[in-house]
Amino acid sequence: MTSMHRYAWNGFGAAVIGFMLSPLVVLVVFCFSSSPLLTLPIEGWSLHWFADAFARPGFLLAFRNSLIVTVCVGATSTIIGTMAAMALSTMRPGLSVGLMLAVTVPIMAPPLLLGVALLTFYSTWLNLTLGLPTVILSHLVFTQPFVILVINARMASFDHAAVESARDLGAGPLRAFFDVTLPIIAPSVVGGALIAMALSLDDFLVTFFTIGGSNTLPTFMWGMLRKGVDPSINVVATLIMLLSIGTTVFGLRITQYRG
Amino acid sequence: MKDRSLSIRAALQLAPTIGVLLFVFVLPTAYFFVISFWRVRAFKLRPEFTFDQYRQVLAEFSDPLQFTLALASVVAIVTVLIALGFAYFCRFQAGPAGPAFIFLVLVTLFGGYLTKIYMWKTILGSAGILNTALMELGLIDSPITALLYSPVAVIITLVHYTLPLAILPIYGALRGVEDVPLEAARDLGAGRLRTFFDIVLPQIRSGIVAAFSLSFIFTAGDYVTPLMVGGPNASMIGVFIQNQFGNRLNSPLGSALSFVVIASCMVIVLAFATAMVSVTRSRR
Amino acid sequence: MSALVQLRRVSKAYGVVKAVEPLDIEIQAGEFMAILGPSGCGKTTLLRMIGGFIQPSTGEIILDGVDVTRLGPERRPTNMVFQGYGLFPHMSVAQNVSYGLRLAQVSLPERKRRVEEALALVHLEDFGERRIEQLSGGQRQRVALARALVMRPKVLLLDEPLAALDLKLRRAMQEEFRRIHALIGGTFIFVTHDQEEAMSLATRICVMDRARVVQDGTPEEIYRRPATRFVSRFIGEANFFHGVAQSNVVTLRNGASFSAKVNDGEVDCVVRPEDICLPDQGGCDIRAEAIVENVTFLGHHRQYRLSSVLGDDIIVSSRDRSPDIDVGSTVTIGWRVADQRIVSQ
Repeated sequence: MTSMHRYAWNGFGAAVIGFMLSPLVVLVVFCFSSSPLLTLPIEGWSLHWFADAFARPGFLLAFRNSLIVTVCVGATSTIIGTMAAMALSTMRPGLSVGLMLAVTVPIMAPPLLLGVALLTFYSTWLNLTLGLPTVILSHLVFTQPFVILVINARMASFDHAAVESARDLGAGPLRAFFDVTLPIIAPSVVGGALIAMALSLDDFLVTFFTIGGSNTLPTFMWGMLRKGVDPSINVVATLIMLLSIGTTVFGLRITQYRG
Repeated sequence: MKDRSLSIRAALQLAPTIGVLLFVFVLPTAYFFVISFWRVRAFKLRPEFTFDQYRQVLAEFSDPLQFTLALASVVAIVTVLIALGFAYFCRFQAGPAGPAFIFLVLVTLFGGYLTKIYMWKTILGSAGILNTALMELGLIDSPITALLYSPVAVIITLVHYTLPLAILPIYGALRGVEDVPLEAARDLGAGRLRTFFDIVLPQIRSGIVAAFSLSFIFTAGDYVTPLMVGGPNASMIGVFIQNQFGNRLNSPLGSALSFVVIASCMVIVLAFATAMVSVTRSRR
Repeated sequence: MSALVQLRRVSKAYGVVKAVEPLDIEIQAGEFMAILGPSGCGKTTLLRMIGGFIQPSTGEIILDGVDVTRLGPERRPTNMVFQGYGLFPHMSVAQNVSYGLRLAQVSLPERKRRVEEALALVHLEDFGERRIEQLSGGQRQRVALARALVMRPKVLLLDEPLAALDLKLRRAMQEEFRRIHALIGGTFIFVTHDQEEAMSLATRICVMDRARVVQDGTPEEIYRRPATRFVSRFIGEANFFHGVAQSNVVTLRNGASFSAKVNDGEVDCVVRPEDICLPDQGGCDIRAEAIVENVTFLGHHRQYRLSSVLGDDIIVSSRDRSPDIDVGSTVTIGWRVADQRIVSQ
């Protein structure tokens, strides 16, 4: 390996990382800029965009709605996803792979098309009132595959003899699950839950079509964007980003994800 | 007996997940497909069979459809090339820092969809960071207005968004490629490039196809990016689909447009996969 | 007639860490040479420098009269059988074997003929269409060998070729290597940490320790006349008797002395277990008293463990069926000066 080669590769790697990170870094920096114009150079530092954003009508409601949706989606998809992963781990490989594929199809679908299909289905066929419950239900379809994938990966190296010994010692199936299986796979369950929450928190398109009149943080941000550029958008955007990146990083640490 | 009770339990455990899949995906999609053949009268859906929507799609929307597919091809190809280079860098060139870089990629995947689009809007704008920086450096005299509200802006934004989606499957495939066969190929007379095409590429084919599909399908179905940074010349099909549900309330036409997009995506992804297979087939 | 492979002052350093100290080696056409040493001694680095996978820090490598020091592996007339084999998992057995020929733009009929020939040589005639994952470890080893041999390399390099196989398969493959070398001639260089493997295969062994070549010779020379304490310990079993040399007279710690041409200072007198007489029956030049600790019956010989009066451990192997040596008894052992080897400490 000549050193020219090495420099070229390192330069390329640095450029890609810079390209991927720069918008996020720029965003966070501008949150603290005092000027209302998003231009360089930055003339001074201030926290007043945070105060602006929090004082905006509807912001706190959207924040609350986001938390409700995220927590409900996280909890529900973790419970049903864990149950499904347990069932898949006892099946013969052909069947479980087939089912897994079927469950993961929705994450391949473009979110816009999923959103408008669900909107049509809920409002035209079922005449449901759109709101947080329809959002939560809709989010389950693209968060549960991730929970199942993460837990299923863990179950591949799971020692089933531990559960069998618990049964042998007198524990019922449910008791054995809570006493033995769950403590062993807990990191993966928590990790899966956090990834589900991050996806739910960040979702705009499906939420936009299934929420009716109310707002979560992303749809609230969309409303601000439609009105024009205003630096307090930076604060909302940063909030969404930090919440979802924070849960992701924590989730990946917990599941000991490696590449 | 034991087997049966086991499988009943498994079925019960799977029921909620399958229920969500059916109720929130299969049924809605099927219904959505069916209404693409229905009529709308006085803003109400009528279950009367017609091909009108599909005729209308071909008659009125073939230009934006072609534009969308062309732009999605450009985005997907650029994304796959960068992703391939970066994943290769992380696997073979970056040493122990490689997995850390991939972790960084994974984190940016969750960096916020609207946020990323919005940031590219502010970066590329005529008073944006890129233009002001270039002017400060004296490289240009007046802002390049063509940066924002152009197909180029849409491409940059979508490449940025889909890049992590493309890097992860390719890196996953590259992790399965061992080092020793690469040395063996060198030993048998293959140069670096030849080794890559003959030994590495065939082994990561599925990862590349996955990366291409994800970026292509996401781009073809996007509407926020063209709306925010595309300007009048980047009228992608997603904008028209969304329109049918916003002010126009013509869901059959929206549905027909959606299924034409999905069908086109499938054809192109299949064509790409076939091309990859024939390019990487091993010969005697 | 100059040697086929010439290494001149070849060395490799990674920063301050010296992987291979400057060395000179010449290898003649037709040799079957082993590079033997413990892990981390630099033997694999040396082999990979010959193959072109590592650029030497200094020195030059001449192959058949051509300086190949700066050439990549794809441009050298060498081929390698890798540790772990490095087969191409997405190709069939025949595609693996023909890959190098295809790169060399050998015509299709010629390619087919040579692939069949190579597969026949390693007894895999009917395996051409198999996929790699369908093969056992021993079969993979043969494919790797065929893939290298089909190129008709001027030098075949083998990196721990048998390390991944179990003992029985290893023996069988050793037999194969000997047969193939005898059949096609050629020059083989292989790296191993297994002294038995080196002894049974090689016509010449190059022993490495801590980045240096410590001895280079035929298996018999290395066993009979180890150059250092390390070599005598690494190859076969050996007993060490400490002593001091002064004016060409060596005095062992138990008082026995003899004359030998060595530099003054502390020395070790190395004696192989089978060269020690137990008990001494008068034919020995040097004698010592020892207590029998235990006896192990090993079929074609017995192994005795003794400890000398001075506390040294001594191993003796004997084919005599002398039953009258009891554990715990004190005996006189001895050896002939011709059977011992003096090494400096």
